[in-house]
Amino acid sequence: MRLRTAILTILVLPLAKAEDPINFSRQIRPILSENCIACHGPDDKTREAGLRLDDEVSAKSNREGDIAIVPGKPELSSIIQRIESKDPDDVMPPPKQHKVISPEQVALLKTWIRQGARWGKHWSYEPVVAVKVPANGEANPIDAFLLERLKKEKLTFAPAADRNLLIRRTALDLTGLPPTPAELTRLAQASPTELVDHYLAQPTFGEHWARGWLDMARYADSAGYPSDPGRTIWPYRDWVIRAFNANQRFDRFSIEQLAGDLLPNPTQEQLIATAFHRNTMTQNEGGTNDEEYRTAAVIDRVNTTYAVWMGTTMACAQCHTHKYDPITITEYFRSYAVLNQTADSDKADERPTMEVIPPAQKAARDAAQQRLTQAEAVFAQVKPTWLTGFDAWLNSKAAIPEKKLAALFAAPKEKRTAAQVKQLQEYYVRNVAQETKPEREAVAQLRKQLTELKPPTVPVMQELPAPKQRKTFVQLRGNWQALGDEVTPGVPVAWHAAPAKGQLDRLAFAEWLLSPKNPLTARVQVNRLWETVFGVGIVRTSEEFGSQGDLPVHPELLDWLAAEYVRSGWDTKHMLRLMFTSRAYRQSSASNPSLNERDPDNRLVARGPRFRPPGELLRDQALAVAGLLSPKMYGAPVRPMRPASGLSAAFGGSNDWTTSAGEDAHRRSVYTDTRRNSPYPSFTTFDAPNRETCTLRRDRSNTPLQAFVTMNDPVFVEASQGLARRLLKEGPTDMTGRLQYAFRLCVARAADAHELKALETLLQRSLATYRKDPALAAKMATQPLGPADKGADLAELAAWTAVAGVVMNLDEFLMRR
Amino acid sequence: MNPPSLHPVRAEQLRLQTRRHFLSSAGQFSLGAIALQTLQGNAFAATADADQPLAPKRPPLKARAKRVIYLHMSGGPPNLDIFDPKPALVEQNGKPCPDSFLKGRTFAFTSGVPKLMGSPRTFKQYGKGGLWMSDAVPNFHTVADDVTLLRAMHTDQFNHAPAELLLFTGHIRQGRPSLGSWATYGLGTENQDLPGFVTLISSGTQPSGGQGCWGSGFLPSVFQGVQCRSKGDPVLFVNDPPGMTRDLRRATLDALKDLNQRQQDELGHAETVTRIAQYELAFRMQTSVPEVMDISRESAKTLEAYGAKPGEASFANNCLLARRLVEKGVRFVHLFDWGWDFHGTNPAEDIRDGLTKKMAKTDKPAAALIKDLKERGLLDDTLIVWGGEFGRTPFREGRTAGGSVLGRDHYPDCFTVMLAGGGVKGGFSFGETDEMGFAGVKDKVHVHDLQATILHLLGFDHERLTYRFQGRDFRLTDVHGHVVKAVLA
Repeated sequence: MRLRTAILTILVLPLAKAEDPINFSRQIRPILSENCIACHGPDDKTREAGLRLDDEVSAKSNREGDIAIVPGKPELSSIIQRIESKDPDDVMPPPKQHKVISPEQVALLKTWIRQGARWGKHWSYEPVVAVKVPANGEANPIDAFLLERLKKEKLTFAPAADRNLLIRRTALDLTGLPPTPAELTRLAQASPTELVDHYLAQPTFGEHWARGWLDMARYADSAGYPSDPGRTIWPYRDWVIRAFNANQRFDRFSIEQLAGDLLPNPTQEQLIATAFHRNTMTQNEGGTNDEEYRTAAVIDRVNTTYAVWMGTTMACAQCHTHKYDPITITEYFRSYAVLNQTADSDKADERPTMEVIPPAQKAARDAAQQRLTQAEAVFAQVKPTWLTGFDAWLNSKAAIPEKKLAALFAAPKEKRTAAQVKQLQEYYVRNVAQETKPEREAVAQLRKQLTELKPPTVPVMQELPAPKQRKTFVQLRGNWQALGDEVTPGVPVAWHAAPAKGQLDRLAFAEWLLSPKNPLTARVQVNRLWETVFGVGIVRTSEEFGSQGDLPVHPELLDWLAAEYVRSGWDTKHMLRLMFTSRAYRQSSASNPSLNERDPDNRLVARGPRFRPPGELLRDQALAVAGLLSPKMYGAPVRPMRPASGLSAAFGGSNDWTTSAGEDAHRRSVYTDTRRNSPYPSFTTFDAPNRETCTLRRDRSNTPLQAFVTMNDPVFVEASQGLARRLLKEGPTDMTGRLQYAFRLCVARAADAHELKALETLLQRSLATYRKDPALAAKMATQPLGPADKGADLAELAAWTAVAGVVMNLDEFLMRR
Repeated sequence: MNPPSLHPVRAEQLRLQTRRHFLSSAGQFSLGAIALQTLQGNAFAATADADQPLAPKRPPLKARAKRVIYLHMSGGPPNLDIFDPKPALVEQNGKPCPDSFLKGRTFAFTSGVPKLMGSPRTFKQYGKGGLWMSDAVPNFHTVADDVTLLRAMHTDQFNHAPAELLLFTGHIRQGRPSLGSWATYGLGTENQDLPGFVTLISSGTQPSGGQGCWGSGFLPSVFQGVQCRSKGDPVLFVNDPPGMTRDLRRATLDALKDLNQRQQDELGHAETVTRIAQYELAFRMQTSVPEVMDISRESAKTLEAYGAKPGEASFANNCLLARRLVEKGVRFVHLFDWGWDFHGTNPAEDIRDGLTKKMAKTDKPAAALIKDLKERGLLDDTLIVWGGEFGRTPFREGRTAGGSVLGRDHYPDCFTVMLAGGGVKGGFSFGETDEMGFAGVKDKVHVHDLQATILHLLGFDHERLTYRFQGRDFRLTDVHGHVVKAVLA
């Protein structure tokens, strides 16, 4: 038996006593799924002996005297006989499968059969049911559910976290930035709701929460595959940030991304939203087949859609009927058929695209256009004074780029009509006449302005008109050229039915996904919110809610949250407010050996959550405490400092870039140019995906390469220089006061005597080194941040930079706790 | 890895906590560790540790190779001009390609009826095994008795990126763990002061398959290849910033350790212990990495044998680095060399002079590596693989057929891969292609078979080295692959 299952079983299920009713979905189905379903499941290509153990009828039917499961009679059930058989040819699972059903699991199976072998669906396919909140005195339903469970485990909540630490935790979780000293003061007395609402209202909220969604949307500023050329799609990224800030209902947010173009009279914003599925990669390598890669993009869209909204891995069913979940290959391609009708076709120019004119730019463009029209109107009336050089020009050998005019120009004078002369005159005053030089320059200037205001574009989804719609066939063994039967658009029968009216298009499909009848979408999304806030999902495998995923550790709480999400009108900020104001969230995160041993993942939430945030947040936090972070929002991607690789992309340009000028070098990480083939190195080191395909959950590794980043990456060195300058400029004049200021900025707490002493010792020691070697001090204090203020003591700055580097590498600085 | 200042009992207690934490808390991490334990049996469990996911592990089967150096010629070397002589094709030179070879097929850059092209190169047999090689690879002639040639390799893909991804991750699109990641996931690595899986790139361009070729996919990211460089920081950010001395770095780390340890004592988070350890390891790597990457420490004779020059970013330097790395216990070294796409669009892609020049820079260091490892007694348990992601057509490429440069198009059905050391036969040729070089006719080896064989040599059953992700047990060879037993020594 797998150890993981053992731990989970201990944690999730108090061991079943004989008289406890066994829950099929939670206790039996996982055993069958893990050990039996691959050969006795939905896939008829691999099904053995015609037996299905995922299907009640088949499992209980009499096949030539053999009944796998006889309700009430474990001793007559062949499933038990076969599992317990000592004959290697007879025993199940077959030894070559390397699967073992433990004695405890066999006991569970027997008890379940003795109790009548009551069947049920996989837990996450059962409808969300309204769960009664336990009445145990807790005001927040989250706490009420958690406390019930804690009581069973003879545990309770930890004491409340220190106020400043709670502010830091809340600020980091909601905005991705540390609290400012002013906020620590202002929010010192705030109620839990006031604290949460303060940060929910910040525009930085959207910037932080967009990041996780962009991982799922596989958002990048390049097209992928070997040459990985740039792609303009950032208006979509800005759309996601705005949607989070505006607290757009999750169902609208979803439907607009999947099918905004099919809504009645779609707005520009709704069209931008459809770029969600234009984040698939485009293959530009010479000699590749566009249709092959268009197919790959549609497959990616099917897989991404089911993964994001239903926590379901469809990829298995792409090549063969799913072995564990009831999805057939035909059903897979019926979903594919829904998404197979858009005009995009793996073209290098990403067409169809749409111009995006931001409101601010629209006014400027209109004004420039108007000025240009006016300036050009001047030439409509040719002034005689402009024509002094006209005849001389006619006799010259000037080259005229326009063909028609060139012919006129070359024709003998007497053959030209009056109208033709007028044409030549107009050309002359617009292009040649010395007298019109100021007017001509004005027009050129305005034209240039207008070009500079050329709006960005964004690739969009565009449904093919009915006559051009594609036929969809089952692709055999995942091969786009090996086609089977034709299929019509549709959804898997395992779930609720799709609307009956007409052919299922993308919009109807999106509405089906977001229907309150869908058992998965709300569960999957609230679990994701929970995971982001508490570190681990209620279902740990937040990417997999199918039968191969983990079971929920708090099933009632999950259902209550899912129901509340739908009831509130898919109000994401409401759900976050519930979580952030809970006693569970506001606990101290301090742990102890016994709790570590018992619940190392903190799934019971007997203490506050503590985990390492993503690399993007770590960079933003470093820039923020250094006073370097630019608050500028939105717009084209920017290029912060990164080391040169000296390498090119295959068949593409250099992977290296020039650092953006001015504040753009210090923008929030969400605006960093995301190149799939050369992702930003420090983010990668902290487990950022390369955004080639949908990522639902990031790893949280802890490696020495990460220490290199936060100690030596010029971005972080620059931040420690910035912090050092800030301490000397803004902080008190004494060493202790400055150290306390550094602690308040970085970890929102006061340093104790031991910490002060350790850092003072380091400061003195560094100072001694840098006093002796001014050149060394100059490097430490200014590279790469740049010259210090005139008259600054570089040795002092250098020593404080070393100390700032230590504070910014503290475990608690790199953790949200 | 336990901080030395701790009382031994307390240290042990923390170690256990940390290990437990690792086993069950770090998300996918835990699945990996346990999957591995399951497949390896109880003897294995003792070595999987949180602080050291890369700690050396014993493979479940008898291993013939302990480490791998993979020399990848990115772009697809022209097999018919290097290892696979075709006198019949030479006789047919210039004749239209028979329809039977073209029917129902697509080529990357060729349409219509191309002209057959026999190799302009001279072939002879070398070594006791009489291995056929052309005059393009004079240095490979000298190691003929140490290598196995797989002459009927084949793949499913005729474009670079998907072919490279298929070869190195078992799947045509990004997202799966690479060969080197699987190897380090299964075996850990022997030197904890160096990365377990190192990637080195030469000729200025990264491979078409991109970083996915050494990525960890859904495996924990500690198993991804660490790109080392012979110019600039040998590992990204390994060097202290300007103005930071080694003494001061030590002093800052001492302060950091002191402060972090106090936090750990007070708040009891096992992960803090791991972080302290990682900073200490980083400090050691700051010495060990630049040291191992400094080839100027090699003798003039050795530098000359490889054709390596300190300070350059060349394939020769990378071959020498590969030896230095495996010598220090690195598990998997993956070299990528750009410039093997012999279409004939420019003189560098000509199968006559262009190939001679490309080989002059590459077959010498590759042969030197084999000899060097042999001299040091490392060849027996170090597997070297040399090859591309596919082969090249027996006909002249369509686009460039009118020019003076001779080039061939991509061809997935036949190519040659060379193996050396690590439990494979020497002076052995395996597999045959037909007389024109259009199809394998005997002992064909698919890229999945190559993967299965490499894992076998490392001591793994490729069907059992798995990792649970999104509800499914994944493996490098997907649902394919057979070990090529014939090549085992």
